[in-house]
Amino acid sequence: MSRERKTYGRWWTGLVLLAMVGAVIGFAAQSFLAMHIDPPIYPGAGVTRVGLLSDYFSELAGTPADTDVYYLEGEDPGATTLVLGGTHPNEPASSLTAITLIENATVDSGTLIVIARANRSGFTCTEPQEGYPQTYKIDTPSGPREFRYGSRGTNPIDQWPDPVIYINAAGQALAGAEVRNLNRSYPGTPDGNLTERLAYAIEELIRQESVDVSIDLHEASPEYPVINAIVAHEDALSIAAEAALFLEFDGVQIGVERSPTNLRGLSHREWGDTTDTLAFLVESANAAQGRLRGATSADLIVEGKDSYYVRAAERGLLYVPFGDDGHSIDERVGRHLQTILSLLDVYNAYATDTIELCDVPTLADVMATGLGVYLDPPASS
Amino acid sequence: MTIVYQIITAAVSLLVVWNLLKERHLVDQMASALVLIPLVLRLLMIK
Repeated sequence: MSRERKTYGRWWTGLVLLAMVGAVIGFAAQSFLAMHIDPPIYPGAGVTRVGLLSDYFSELAGTPADTDVYYLEGEDPGATTLVLGGTHPNEPASSLTAITLIENATVDSGTLIVIARANRSGFTCTEPQEGYPQTYKIDTPSGPREFRYGSRGTNPIDQWPDPVIYINAAGQALAGAEVRNLNRSYPGTPDGNLTERLAYAIEELIRQESVDVSIDLHEASPEYPVINAIVAHEDALSIAAEAALFLEFDGVQIGVERSPTNLRGLSHREWGDTTDTLAFLVESANAAQGRLRGATSADLIVEGKDSYYVRAAERGLLYVPFGDDGHSIDERVGRHLQTILSLLDVYNAYATDTIELCDVPTLADVMATGLGVYLDPPASS
Repeated sequence: MTIVYQIITAAVSLLVVWNLLKERHLVDQMASALVLIPLVLRLLMIK
């Protein structure tokens, strides 16, 4: 037996609902559009000029993928190093390490080139169905400083549609969503989609600046095998191995992985194959990315504590130690900074042209004072 | 490609608005209103 549904709907209830829809859209749009405003970066004393990635590939100019490039040039000539942060905007230690370098490092000899938001479009949205916050805050002496938590890939608003299967410029077949993943799009193509053009521009920067050492910063979930590790192209493998030894001497547990030759499109493979640079990729452990995490929050991103990961570690399911203290953003950024210093120390030991960085905080420095001390905005800001 | 997508989204949005105003059941009107929110956000290329 069916029951007749009561009809309360009238034309004016429809209009009231339309007005409510407009209000919700207005509120939501304000929040989503705010993600397109880049949080400020304050170049430190070591920054000698700021350019754009489109300076190396003009087709990128005016697109959501164009991004700032920071140059820290020493008084003496020497080697050129690229540090790439923000390839995956949901891996915050990556961009924060780059920002820490921009705001603190100085260079005695050689040139340090830093990009903090490699996939800038990815910082304008979050991953669907993950419950990620749009921002997180780092405590600095001047108060909390806000940073953007983004998506692994380019914003679908900027690049659409995803294919069912993505075959990148290197010929690698991948899942369709990887078409928006910068670190599956190398070496890129000048006439490809937005992410491929971005990848091409980064390779052009490496070629045109004759970059000697290139370091791509990342994070991974604690259950991912390649974690707390340096992945190196075979041309750079001996430097990575020696740097890892020195890091272990300093109490930093880190692994070394050889870049696979049959997984194409990643920075450590394509940069090494298609340019003259020594290519490295560095990983740290971010619980906020993992499948086993509990509540997803800004605290999880910053403090890196999660009771479910503690239990997973007790059962031997993880590839990193995971205790009650978790892996804080201080530790993850400190590890990245220490790894960069160690890689460059080893490179300098064998190279004719060297790069000498100063005022870069080490892991011990960051753990002693907190990362916020190195991210304190200048008083004039 | 994007303009085709926007035309399709605009057409579907108009149909949903039409349904919202013509529908006599309040619950179904509310359902239409909910459906409309993501459609308009995508039509305007905001989300």
